[in-house]
Amino acid sequence: MEMKKVPLTKQKWFQVLFWILFIIVAWEVGASVVAVTKRTPENVMPHLYQILAAAFSTKPVSSGMSATMVVLTSARATLLRAFGGFLLGAALGFVFALLMQMSKAVEKMIFPYLMLIQLIPVLGLAPIVLAITGDINKSRIIIAAILSFYPVANNTLAGFKSVSKERYELMATYAAKKYQIYGKVLIPAASPYFFTGLKIAAPLAVTASILVDTLQGDGGLGCMLSQSLKHAMSIYVFWLIVFFSAFVGIFSTYLISFIEFITSPAKRAAWNGRSLEKKHRRAAMKAARKEYRKEKEDGRDLISQTCSENKA
Amino acid sequence: MAETSFHKPVAKIKRKKSLAQRLSENKAVQQSSAIVLPVLLGVVIFALWQTQVLHKMFGTDVFTLPLPTKIASLFAQNLPAVWINSLATIKAAGLGLLFGSILGYVVAILATFFPDMGKGGLYLVGAFASIPIAALAPVMNNWTKDVSSTASVRSMVSKILVVTLVCAADMTLNAYRGLTEVKPYSEDLMATYAASKRKLLFKLRIPNSVPYIFTALKVSVPASIMTAVVSEYFAEYIVGVGREIRENIVLSQYSIAWVYITAACIIGIVAYALLMLAQSILMKKFKPV
Repeated sequence: MEMKKVPLTKQKWFQVLFWILFIIVAWEVGASVVAVTKRTPENVMPHLYQILAAAFSTKPVSSGMSATMVVLTSARATLLRAFGGFLLGAALGFVFALLMQMSKAVEKMIFPYLMLIQLIPVLGLAPIVLAITGDINKSRIIIAAILSFYPVANNTLAGFKSVSKERYELMATYAAKKYQIYGKVLIPAASPYFFTGLKIAAPLAVTASILVDTLQGDGGLGCMLSQSLKHAMSIYVFWLIVFFSAFVGIFSTYLISFIEFITSPAKRAAWNGRSLEKKHRRAAMKAARKEYRKEKEDGRDLISQTCSENKA
Repeated sequence: MAETSFHKPVAKIKRKKSLAQRLSENKAVQQSSAIVLPVLLGVVIFALWQTQVLHKMFGTDVFTLPLPTKIASLFAQNLPAVWINSLATIKAAGLGLLFGSILGYVVAILATFFPDMGKGGLYLVGAFASIPIAALAPVMNNWTKDVSSTASVRSMVSKILVVTLVCAADMTLNAYRGLTEVKPYSEDLMATYAASKRKLLFKLRIPNSVPYIFTALKVSVPASIMTAVVSEYFAEYIVGVGREIRENIVLSQYSIAWVYITAACIIGIVAYALLMLAQSILMKKFKPV
């Protein structure tokens, strides 16, 4: 009884690690080439260690703050607004999906416009929203909310529609009230769809908030980004912001997966089941190995071997 | 109520239906309401806008939010300039969409050929898809500085590259699903035919992925236009619908900015309509068997 090993290339952590290393190597090769050929390599593609060094250096770049401090303080302004807009948009999206599910007339009235919102380049509206509200924080929230609204509303509505007729019929036989149907069937059924919508919306909200920053010199990641590009401060601030915003965009998706995991019993059960299965398998493997050793000591393995040979 | 069903059975108990119930069961009403209701909402919004009730609601004036009639007349007056800028945006979005979709599809095919490592690469592509465009656009600007000595050309290249990357990520993830999530046993069937890997690709995987291509395009067509508009903000050369929106707002020419916003919306809607048309034509041909 030999434990079958999963080959390294089939394991998820190895695959991801391989590609991350691949990208790092590719970047470094590119950076080395750029360092030789370009006049200002740090503008085009600095070495990763240079960016890291900039992140940990305490040298002040702007009004007495180090590069990391600049990024973090501006990130707070940007991300808080992005988060506010995201929450607002997601809540509105859910409510609209619920309204459309409750009333056919509302659905018919609103759904074409919901499609239209998706087709309009909303980020193009950012400057005009800023002009109307006159306040950068409000416009950050509004744009982030509009962008998060559509994916959440659309996905949640699809979730409501995915409920099969049999479930309604079952609830009818229970003489369930309408709010019970919503609470026990529709909303739980739509929740995975709702989270899919959130996963799409979160990076959009971050993008929106950063973009709105660039429109006005009032702090925030986007503002620092464009200032650094214009060489008002160290160019490494720009690179730090690029990597930081990429990280935030990616991280936000994982964060929502995590929240979904915590809040949805079905996912948790699946996870527990899987880990339980693993535990059982390991225990079984251990027992089998123990038995095998015992057999070997008893010399019975010889008998079993000959038996299996005979069978073959 | 003299004849109750107490003694002799009645065939059918007729209950008077409410008006709402009758309306909801009438097919003609239902069909027409799908058109009438949205149009009604549109008319209401238009009326509120034109009568400046909307302005009071948002606390703004006719200067920042011009009346629809004014936007329309300015649109007609500035048609040549709008057309030039729209063309630049369409070019960046369209070419980026084309290159990105092809690139994404090729990557997806490669991933099916090397399933072990390819799948790991897809996690990374998924992560890549959530990188903000606002961070990507300036990087591309820097990388394309030496492509050409003309600012208009290198700006266009950088815009196309940003759109390409965004669309490629969408296409790879969807196409990979289309190429691998084939009908159960169909792979086994191909194996019993002793089909080569190439045959398997062309006869099974690629036809199976066609609906998924459209799923990807439904996301990436609007996304390509949005990305083109945003990367225009960061581009060196001043052209394009998105850039004009911003430039005009900086100059406080809000009504002209609204003209370009309208143009951006029209581009988005027309592109999506074209996609739907292409889908309805192609999907008839590639009907899933």
